Amino acid sequence: MAKILVVDDSSTVRDEVSTFLRGSGLDVVTAVDGKDGLVKLEADPGIKLVVADVNMPNMDGLTMVEKIRGELKNSTVNLIMLTTESSPNMKERGKAAGVKGWIVKPFKGAAVLETFKKLAS
Amino acid sequence: MNEQPMSKVLVLDNSPEHARLIKRFCDQNNLSALKVRKDAVTSVLRTNIDLGGILYSEDYADSPEETARIALEIHGARPELPIIIRREKRATLAGLPDSTQRVFCGAYVTSDMSALRKVIDEYIFCLVYPNALLRGIAEISTEVLGNLFKDVKTSFDTPYIVHDRVIFGEVFSLIMLESSWCRGYMMLQTEEESFLNLVGRDVEVENPPNFRRVNDLLSETTNMIWGGFKNRYIGDTGSATGTQVQVPLIVNHKHHYISFGTSNPQLCFRFIMEDPLTTRLATLYARFVFNLSWSPEDFKEFTHDSGGLVESGAIEMF
Repeated sequence: MAKILVVDDSSTVRDEVSTFLRGSGLDVVTAVDGKDGLVKLEADPGIKLVVADVNMPNMDGLTMVEKIRGELKNSTVNLIMLTTESSPNMKERGKAAGVKGWIVKPFKGAAVLETFKKLAS
Repeated sequence: MNEQPMSKVLVLDNSPEHARLIKRFCDQNNLSALKVRKDAVTSVLRTNIDLGGILYSEDYADSPEETARIALEIHGARPELPIIIRREKRATLAGLPDSTQRVFCGAYVTSDMSALRKVIDEYIFCLVYPNALLRGIAEISTEVLGNLFKDVKTSFDTPYIVHDRVIFGEVFSLIMLESSWCRGYMMLQTEEESFLNLVGRDVEVENPPNFRRVNDLLSETTNMIWGGFKNRYIGDTGSATGTQVQVPLIVNHKHHYISFGTSNPQLCFRFIMEDPLTTRLATLYARFVFNLSWSPEDFKEFTHDSGGLVESGAIEMF
């Protein structure tokens, strides 16, 4: 089953996104910040898509995706940002790190489900 | 000063056989063990503060069901505290009911305390603080307190690690710490009366100090410790945002008082949310306090052109 890692310091967002995705037949792992996200990704090669917030304590989402590509040398997992941020500079930084898509919160499951399924398969 | 921070752990373990080993472990690993009677757990949790974690045991209560129930209750009351369970046979959570497994962060057996050491390092002492930082904070703070409170002797305990999120005392201050290597907050908290007792020594009886004097003094104490920290550990180039101006926030929850360090007004919005079906209401107040700078003549609005309209919630693919 396709597996997605949802990284957000807000338990409200983690619950909302993971409940929707699990209800749509996807397997979900969650992490509470960028550091936790790196640990969870490294521990589970079955994760095919990472959906991450930007503003998080300990390690922000953009630093995390840069480390996924850099330190973890993981060039295959797909990366989507789910964040309140919409600045072009942040998007450019995400794009440069290999982020495939950018969603400005709030999360609307129906609008993104097909894309998530495709990226997680 | 003992170089390594310590941490206070609640020991919920009735086994005399293992007590000696647990105590020795705590003494050797910078843990201060607080033993609690079973019937006092709830009240201790309500009143005890600044805990780092809980050492629990598989046979804490008279039955496995009761042991599980108490663990769930403790976790429900203080979900931020790591709970580590002592087991008889194996240092693993396997075999515990699913509902209780999730409340424990790890397990250990007293025949091999290395598992406990590993869990303590991962869940209690999970951030390593340079010794020079610990020494420096103590030096800076005692010097500031000595300057602000003349004729008062200041001493300090070994620094300690807390995972609690319980606030105590009656007044606290908050100020942001920001550098290239660390970002976060400093918070000072105290009780009004005891602070006032130190302040009131040389003051005229006609104008005795009140809680506002405590607020002012705490604010200045915060400012000076922050300044000392900044000068020693942040320097000129450390700020991530290009500015290092900060003022302390003061919250006095005894008097329901907050100060942003300015006499500027607060722009407030009141939002009323109503469930049309039940007619239940909740009110949310948003306050905008531009205490650090305010230049409305430079007001601007940013619109980010993503090359096409992308609604919030929709995905913009690169």
